[in-house]
Amino acid sequence: MKFSVTKEKLLECLQQVQNVVSTRTTLPILSNVLLQTNGREVRLTTTDLDVGVRGSFEANIEKEGATTLPARRLFTIIRELPSSEIQFDVDGKNAASIRSGQSFFKILGLPEEEFPPLPKFDDSKVVTIRQKDLRDGLRKTSYAISTDETRYVLNGVLFSFKDNKLTLVATDGRRLAMLDIDLEFPRSHEADIIVPTKAVTELQRLLTDDGEVRVSVGGSQIAFDLNNSLLVSKLIEGNYPNYRQVIPGEMKERVTLERETFLNSLRRVSLLASDKSNSIKLNFSKNNIDITANTPEVGEAKESLPVAYKGREFSIAFNPEFLMAPLRNLAEDEIFLDLIDEMSPGVIKIQSPFLYVLMPMRISS
Amino acid sequence: MDEKCSQLWTKLSAALKPEVSADTFKRWFSAVKLTGATADEVTLLVPNNIYQFWIESNHMTALQTAISSVLGGPRAVKFVCAVDTSAGSDAAEPEPGISARAQAAAGRANKTPGLNPRNTFESFVVGPNNEIAHAASLAVAQSPAKTYNPLFIYGGVGLGKTHLMQAIGQYLGARGKSTRVMYLSSELFINEFIDAIQHNNLVKFRKRYRQADLLLIDDIHFLGGKERSQEEFFHTFNTLFDGHKQIVLSSDRPASEIANLEHRLVSRFEWGLTAELQPPDVETRMAILRKKAHTLKIKLRDEIFDFLATRIKTNVRRLEGALMRVASFASLSGKELTHEVVEHLLKDILQEEARRAVTIDQIQRRVAEHFDVRLADMTSKRRPANIAFPRQIAMYLARELTKASLNEIGEAFGGRDHGTVLHACKLVKKRMKEQDKIRQTISFIDSALQR
Repeated sequence: MKFSVTKEKLLECLQQVQNVVSTRTTLPILSNVLLQTNGREVRLTTTDLDVGVRGSFEANIEKEGATTLPARRLFTIIRELPSSEIQFDVDGKNAASIRSGQSFFKILGLPEEEFPPLPKFDDSKVVTIRQKDLRDGLRKTSYAISTDETRYVLNGVLFSFKDNKLTLVATDGRRLAMLDIDLEFPRSHEADIIVPTKAVTELQRLLTDDGEVRVSVGGSQIAFDLNNSLLVSKLIEGNYPNYRQVIPGEMKERVTLERETFLNSLRRVSLLASDKSNSIKLNFSKNNIDITANTPEVGEAKESLPVAYKGREFSIAFNPEFLMAPLRNLAEDEIFLDLIDEMSPGVIKIQSPFLYVLMPMRISS
Repeated sequence: MDEKCSQLWTKLSAALKPEVSADTFKRWFSAVKLTGATADEVTLLVPNNIYQFWIESNHMTALQTAISSVLGGPRAVKFVCAVDTSAGSDAAEPEPGISARAQAAAGRANKTPGLNPRNTFESFVVGPNNEIAHAASLAVAQSPAKTYNPLFIYGGVGLGKTHLMQAIGQYLGARGKSTRVMYLSSELFINEFIDAIQHNNLVKFRKRYRQADLLLIDDIHFLGGKERSQEEFFHTFNTLFDGHKQIVLSSDRPASEIANLEHRLVSRFEWGLTAELQPPDVETRMAILRKKAHTLKIKLRDEIFDFLATRIKTNVRRLEGALMRVASFASLSGKELTHEVVEHLLKDILQEEARRAVTIDQIQRRVAEHFDVRLADMTSKRRPANIAFPRQIAMYLARELTKASLNEIGEAFGGRDHGTVLHACKLVKKRMKEQDKIRQTISFIDSALQR
């Protein structure tokens, strides 16, 4: 194959696909990226057999063909090339000559046939979602995914298609993030599937603010088609736990907080949360919250935050990291913090259908 | 028991209530049942896995406090999910999950990665050198984990260890679709183990290996000296063995001779059946050549087969390579194959074969090294027992392993006459019969020389 392309286009596309490639792999072909000409485009594909990503870029194609080249190496070379015009020439033995300005590189690849094909989705259920909605949804939930491998059903985001809604859920057993996206799809497309962490991370990289993404579910696989790129992943098998059980029914107190102000205060005070107990205390009193943290033999921090609060006085402690995570990932100016008492979970809500349940820490008095 | 359990749970609940909020208790603990309590463990039945996850993550301290106050000490808490929920369906599901994974991994259905489809029992040539190993492998394939577990196959390079192991794997893979076959080299096992340590993936790693129905590990001798890997393998071995899963191992030497291998592993490897593969005799080599020629559709004259079979003795792989070389030369050049042409074609291989033959000099060096005497003592006139006996052993080995005559051997050992050599041989034989230790030492040196 032979083509020429600008450095920027190629680099952008490589950046999209190269994260899937794992450095340590049992199959050498998996550290390679598949290059294929397709009409006036060149398609790049990578896979680790669990997650596969395909991207494409426009190029000036002189000769059609396909090959695979070591992904990381190709990426580092392209990144360093001096000129913006790059010429690719791959011979019959999968050796690629790359010319750019005064530079010349020759790298050896492997035959295209060895590359495992991405699974096909012929008779799958397809749902279309606005990219912006899905990107937002994943950003606001994915930080709560569990990394505990013994609870493998929690190592991903639940996509629950039901009642013309897509509900995204992530939990690690101490906190739970949930978000609804309104969608239209036939009843026959209702399903609960778990998309693994790696696919979620890669998908977030691909999603943009414009356009739509076609989601196809077939068997134990899922595909996200974003017009010029595609992500295919295996699903986590098993049943996601009944997360609704976790959401508290009634709430006693509600405080409205400015997200950024609250986050900044928490960030400052948490500097003195001890590594061991790792908790931060919120002391509620009339129209005021005192945020405190202390570490024995180190010191303590305190910050007051004026709020509209008329309920009873009480204190509740949270893991500061868990409390800050949703605040960092939400975009809204105002958030609501719903509480029952010092031993019951706190809930963060916003105007749109989003919910974050966080278990309090025990306060040692 | 049931009544006792529910009474105990009532007590525990009472102790638990002040520890957690009313809402928490109602939400998480009212649906829990206590199904068993022993001196060190309490079993709780929960409606589904969210109860387990949530209680484990958030309410363990409270639960332990309650348990300590009621039972007088801490207990391990075990959760059991009610059968009709996810735990039940989880247990039923791994089957399709694994096959789907394998399918995608290999790009084709029901193949264990790493197995070469050419290595089957049908394509294995049986001769007196490998009869036992072949029969044992077949028995294992036909009734895994029943007769010989573990099966330990050992022999030099290119004698068919891998072939037999893969044949077992393919046989079982083709028979029962539900049999999970894992084939890998111990090197891969070590690498994946290191990788798992680095990425904190040990649980996944263990799960992967410990759910195999048939575990085939090639070249197990690479485990020698790798202590943590050995320990991990030891536990994997025990788990599989206790679960009545078949284990097949291959090595280039007997388990007891693998350097730096822990004794508990050695003894386990020797637990089942140990089968040795020896270099094939000339008839078997002929049969191998003919079979290979048949599958590759190569036609050669009988005398060429004869030539290859008699001249290449040590290694089947080399034998097949030589056949390929001769055949491709014939088809490419179209020339008549004569002895000279073949000899010229294979000169490097033949040289190598000739070099493999043991010389008296090598024997002397090896023996001197083993007994820690000077090489010069092999030829010297000095004859204290600690020098004379090793010298006699070396003479005996020279007699057994080389074609040299008694006179030639005597000459090589400092101009001794043939009677001395004969006496040495007789003496060594006698002492080998009498003393196990001497026999072992000599067979050790012998196998080291042959390798």
